[in-house]
Amino acid sequence: MAHELLSGLSPAEVGQVLTLGTKVTVSSGASLFRLGDPADRIFLTERGRIRLTLPMQVRGREEDILIEEKSPGQTVGWSALIPPYRFTLSATASVETELIALSRESLQACFETSPAVGYKIALNLAVVVGHRLQLVQAMWLREMQRTVELRSA
Amino acid sequence: MEMLLMGLCMTVFGLAVAAVAFGAATRPESSAPKVQPALPAVKVTPARFFSDYVVPPIPPQQPRVPIEVLLQQIENHVRVEQAAAESFVEFPTHALLHSKTTSPFVN
Repeated sequence: MAHELLSGLSPAEVGQVLTLGTKVTVSSGASLFRLGDPADRIFLTERGRIRLTLPMQVRGREEDILIEEKSPGQTVGWSALIPPYRFTLSATASVETELIALSRESLQACFETSPAVGYKIALNLAVVVGHRLQLVQAMWLREMQRTVELRSA
Repeated sequence: MEMLLMGLCMTVFGLAVAAVAFGAATRPESSAPKVQPALPAVKVTPARFFSDYVVPPIPPQQPRVPIEVLLQQIENHVRVEQAAAESFVEFPTHALLHSKTTSPFVN
């Protein structure tokens, strides 16, 4: 399984990082984390799918609305490496899902001893975060454009 | 002859009195203003038959679709829009950014 967060690392470096992780299995429909929870672990998806959602009021009810869905190889929970270390979305398994959980503490210790690994992972993390930013930015602008068109009609 | 003329005169006089009285009876009152005030505009209302027309109460807005269907529509919309955003991020152009959405949720 090729993980986007470990892209560019040598097999030895990948092995070094993966030994820090613990396998987590989330049953279908179960929650991995909730919006606002303290974020101290980042997850690499091994199998299954994770829905990232935000709460929205729909007809007076609070409903979790899908923002993004993560599949094997993708990273979930990068808030664990970025202050203030709180999840900004909720994550739920669409189907039974396996992930590798990497604690911030163990990763930071690894980065201190292997700065080259830390550098590559930081770059990969920037790609993940940047991609989300670009997607949300484009989606936001398209929604704004529709709102402007509706108001101008 | 004199009697005939006298009768004719009396008849003519009687007719004149009757005509003046009739004219006085049918003439509009002199105190009424000659220029009538403007009448308020009459609002044209639909014809009423058999009973007074009563405006039916507007029922409260009923949800058109079950909430599960609405949530599914929102989710599909997010997926469609995310795919559109992915296309833009992959190859950023003005046309792709403002491409018309195919999402039925907003069409």
